[in-house]
Amino acid sequence: MTSSNKKSVRVQEWFSIMAFSATTAKDALKLTRQKMTEYQTEFLERLNAIEVDAHWFRRVFHTFAASFLFYYLLPDEQWINQGKIIVPIIIVFVMAVVEFRRIQGNLDHNRFFGLRSYEKKRPASYLYFGVAVLLLFLFFPQQIAIPCILCASFTDPLIGEARYYLGKKQAYIIGFFVSVFFFMITWYQARWEILLVISVLGATGAVVGEAKKLRFIDDDFMIQFLPALLLLIVWQGLLVLGISILPPRLIFPI
Amino acid sequence: MNTTNNHRNETIRKLLLRLELWFAPWLLLVPLLVSLVFIGEWYTKGYLTSSPQYNGTLLLGLLLLMGNLVFDIPFLRSLRMLKKKQ
Repeated sequence: MTSSNKKSVRVQEWFSIMAFSATTAKDALKLTRQKMTEYQTEFLERLNAIEVDAHWFRRVFHTFAASFLFYYLLPDEQWINQGKIIVPIIIVFVMAVVEFRRIQGNLDHNRFFGLRSYEKKRPASYLYFGVAVLLLFLFFPQQIAIPCILCASFTDPLIGEARYYLGKKQAYIIGFFVSVFFFMITWYQARWEILLVISVLGATGAVVGEAKKLRFIDDDFMIQFLPALLLLIVWQGLLVLGISILPPRLIFPI
Repeated sequence: MNTTNNHRNETIRKLLLRLELWFAPWLLLVPLLVSLVFIGEWYTKGYLTSSPQYNGTLLLGLLLLMGNLVFDIPFLRSLRMLKKKQ
């Protein structure tokens, strides 16, 4: 065999090896891809099943929070009034301890139903919700606290749903008008110009609180606290000028 | 090891779903009861005594009732789907 023949045989062998290994690699890659797709589909299906359930669970948890307004129906007696301060503080404190332990890793994240993935390393939204309600109960008059709690209970899930079906912009417009309605219901006994200004201001605060996503503060806190703070500033500011805008109370103790 | 982890995750998932089912009656009934208390308050102290002071309580009661019903229905539907799946 001449040297040129030897060379051509080697080249042929090399080509056949390469072709064979290329086919094998292709097959392996194809198989892996197929397996990965199957796994991904199955995983997503499972995840979706949980997410869908958690989705409505979260929504109903929000609307459930409107029943916290029962707080204002509690009788006006000394020991109950003390309980009205102590019990919510204890509840929020327990929630904070649970969250602290979860973030520390002492409690398994998976054991908390309905938590979002980004809540893994920061306090969950229910704690923010609880803190906001506590602050509203303790430091704000019910005329301000009630519409803010209603916004967190109904506007928030409504925006969430509307965002899914109609898009962000439409969702916030709907959220704004629904919030205006809540403020109007609570302040309906005020003078019409005050009613209008307060409703627009409160609703703007609620929608901005919901829309603005902050890294460490959840929107469940902001949707309640921002409008409350705005109304508190207006109320106190006008009070300094000698103008009282606060309407009569809406809920009376049993 | 992997199988044990999968088994553990599956158990946790089942527990969580059971927790949701256990929570559901509370999530549905408490707001409805509270709204009925609000409406009852308006009826006894407002309507029977013809006092308009309690009209706000009625409004809130109705709002609580309607708002909760709107979200309770899809929630119940999702629970039914879940039971079917199980």
